[in-house]
Amino acid sequence: MEKILSVKNLTKKFKRVVVNNISFDVEKGNVYGLLGPNGSGKSTTFGMLLSTINPTSGDWYWFGKKGTDPETLKRIGAIIEQPNFYPYLSAEKNLKIVAEIKGTPYGRIDEVLKTVGLLERKKDVFKTYSLGMKQRLAIASALLNNPEVLILDEPTNGLDPEGIIQIRDIITSIAKQGITIIIASHLLDEIEKICSHVIVLKEGNSIYSGRVDEITSNTGYFELKADNNSLLLSTLEELKWFSSVSMEGELIKAQIREDASVSASALNQKLAEKGIFLSHLTKKKLSLETQFLELVKNTNHA
Amino acid sequence: MLKLLKLEYYKNLAYKPFKVFSILYFAILIVFLFIGLIDFDLFGGKVNLKEQGIYNFPEIWNFTTWIVALLKIFLGLIIVFSICQEFSNRMFKQNTIDGLSREEFITSKLLTIAVFTIISTLIVFGITLFLGYQYSNTTESDKVFAEMFFIGNYFVKLFTFFCFLMFLSVLLRKSVFVFLAFFVLWIAEAILLAIEKFQKIRGLNEVQRNHVLQNDFFISKLFPLESMSSLIPNPMVRLNAAKLLGMKYEFHYPVESLIACLVWCAIFIFASYWILKKRDW
Repeated sequence: MEKILSVKNLTKKFKRVVVNNISFDVEKGNVYGLLGPNGSGKSTTFGMLLSTINPTSGDWYWFGKKGTDPETLKRIGAIIEQPNFYPYLSAEKNLKIVAEIKGTPYGRIDEVLKTVGLLERKKDVFKTYSLGMKQRLAIASALLNNPEVLILDEPTNGLDPEGIIQIRDIITSIAKQGITIIIASHLLDEIEKICSHVIVLKEGNSIYSGRVDEITSNTGYFELKADNNSLLLSTLEELKWFSSVSMEGELIKAQIREDASVSASALNQKLAEKGIFLSHLTKKKLSLETQFLELVKNTNHA
Repeated sequence: MLKLLKLEYYKNLAYKPFKVFSILYFAILIVFLFIGLIDFDLFGGKVNLKEQGIYNFPEIWNFTTWIVALLKIFLGLIIVFSICQEFSNRMFKQNTIDGLSREEFITSKLLTIAVFTIISTLIVFGITLFLGYQYSNTTESDKVFAEMFFIGNYFVKLFTFFCFLMFLSVLLRKSVFVFLAFFVLWIAEAILLAIEKFQKIRGLNEVQRNHVLQNDFFISKLFPLESMSSLIPNPMVRLNAAKLLGMKYEFHYPVESLIACLVWCAIFIFASYWILKKRDW
């Protein structure tokens, strides 16, 4: 797979370390999620990759070329934190400025405005736009130069549910065109819906980097209930298939070990052999959200 | 180059403060040039600057450039507003992300400054020439051209001043702070100049004092605002009334101020670029 971006040991210190020795690769055609709570260094990482923040140490390569120069930036479309436009200019004038900077013909302006559904409002002054429209204009602006890779920092921040769905639909249709997308968000279910890969940041450290389905499917847990719950509990503990077994109210929760693979029927059979008959059994996958919280919690002690 | 001019054109044309102050500036500029045609009531008597000889060649170049240079603060406001809004609207950051380099950003602002300075200089040059031929008591060509260098000095003075404001805008990013800093520096320069003068003439008699004041080299004369103002000296001693009072006009071409201004220009431009490069946005 062709590498769009390769980050190596990227570090940024302000007064404290904000981004700590992060390394990851971005391959062509995938949708990457950069996950992390507020203040975990997502925006700072983007800032460095987009040349607005000077790194303390570390390297990165866009399209195999070291660092970020203006020519590289013309192959990237990016939206950061909030939509930035000249508030006193119309959408069209604002996009003319972007087109002038990126060296894109003005003909693209109407095309991208149509993509995000703002063509009718193109003569209107930016400050009269609603937040959702501003965010869509930002996407239009990022798409102006037919970018090979799109960077989105919290694209749905502060939007209402309708606005979120609109943005998500736009992103999904962009992803279908084969444009590589890197999207930062703390809205996990959003990442789970859109992304194929995730990079999880916590306090500036990269604690996970890989496919979304691997992070969510590898492990799971059983919910069980029997007439004799305490016998069930001790039997499960003897089985060595689980990393933890605990009582949660009426139910017993058994976390499957990462190196084990247990089906519900196999477990049921095993317990029946031992004379335990279940009144309740479900196998559940962890959502990205719980997985993420798990990851963040685990590294707390490390 | 054309790309950068276009960018500035789009950015500024619809920006209200920009339009308002541009129109104000050029209107007041032209009015000020014709100021000699108006009669003032001053201390009960009528004063007419034209009759005081301000439109005579070669003094006219000194008078007009000095008078209209007072207006540069209007143009300065435009420059400061237009640069500071790039930062307050986070547009510098956005421009950078879109692929505008720091060099291009500084160049585009310098182009705006240059365009304004050139237009202002051309207007002053054209109208001064017109007024001179209309009202001067002499139009001999050697008199006409004798002090035309004031037009060049006017250009350098304005350009340096705007580079200075550009630097402050990039450094402080808020127009209020820019003007505060400007006034602080203005006062500081005046105080330092006064201190230096006082130290040099302390304990000297009157003749020695005048000699020192006219011939000695003052380090504070090299400060940015002071060197700009030395490019076009106050012409009031050249008024007919002043001549009657026996004031003597002496002028040495301020080479060191000119050099100081050019050096300051370079420092301001380079420092602005350096700040854009080194700061995290």
